[in-house]
Amino acid sequence: MKVEKITCKDVMSHICESLGEDLESPKCIEIKSHLDECPDCSNYFKSVEKTIDFYKKYNVELPSEAHNKLIEFLGLSEDK
Amino acid sequence: MEEQQIIEAAKNGDKKAMSELVKSYEKTVYNFAFKICRDSLKAENIMQETFYSMIKSLRQFDGKSKLSTWLYRIVSNHCLMEARKKKYESVSIDDDDGLYDNSYAAGWDSVPANVVENNELKNILDEAIQKLSPDYRIVFLLRDVEGLSTEETGKITELSVPAVKSRLHRARAFLRKEINKAFQK
Repeated sequence: MKVEKITCKDVMSHICESLGEDLESPKCIEIKSHLDECPDCSNYFKSVEKTIDFYKKYNVELPSEAHNKLIEFLGLSEDK
Repeated sequence: MEEQQIIEAAKNGDKKAMSELVKSYEKTVYNFAFKICRDSLKAENIMQETFYSMIKSLRQFDGKSKLSTWLYRIVSNHCLMEARKKKYESVSIDDDDGLYDNSYAAGWDSVPANVVENNELKNILDEAIQKLSPDYRIVFLLRDVEGLSTEETGKITELSVPAVKSRLHRARAFLRKEINKAFQK
């Protein structure tokens, strides 16, 4: 399939590859080769990856009080 | 006991099995709810509503999808209902203009990797995602943060695969742009 020359805007609006989309699609292959040559897009791609990584690592602990309230709310306390 | 057996026992009213299911998924549900609403009290309420709905309608769970997928759907629906009631003041990202900005702030390379201990970064992340409308937020969180497939995300949000992809690209671009702006300050 013939793919038109990829522009920086195309790359930005269609980040794929290691971000979990079809690696073999003609568009992704073209994007990958564009990323190798274009420092702006390469930085853009890196910062999108970091954005996802930040949100992945931002987790919160379930407070034990919240767990107890949940079990009580659902009527699942062991003494019942 | 296998999860399927626990689910069957819970369907038959076994409280110990119900409790087992709650314990297996409460951290996931609480975290996901927190990530959508960025508020611990709201996350707690949504978690309670989610498990209440799960217990009430467990008999309808046919096991064709994973229980976690089913729970993600309940959490998403509760969060969307909350958002519609409150009418979030989110930014529209239906328009491409200005969404893709390739400026690159130095902060991307200098920010310490440990997000949890970096309160300044946490504030930036909270502020950025709260500007994103809940419809987009849920797609980004399910697909990129929770690691569900595009198809699973589509089932939960009742969107087609191309619609999930389109929202995902826009959500990523929007969040990246907001964080970049904060790093430039």
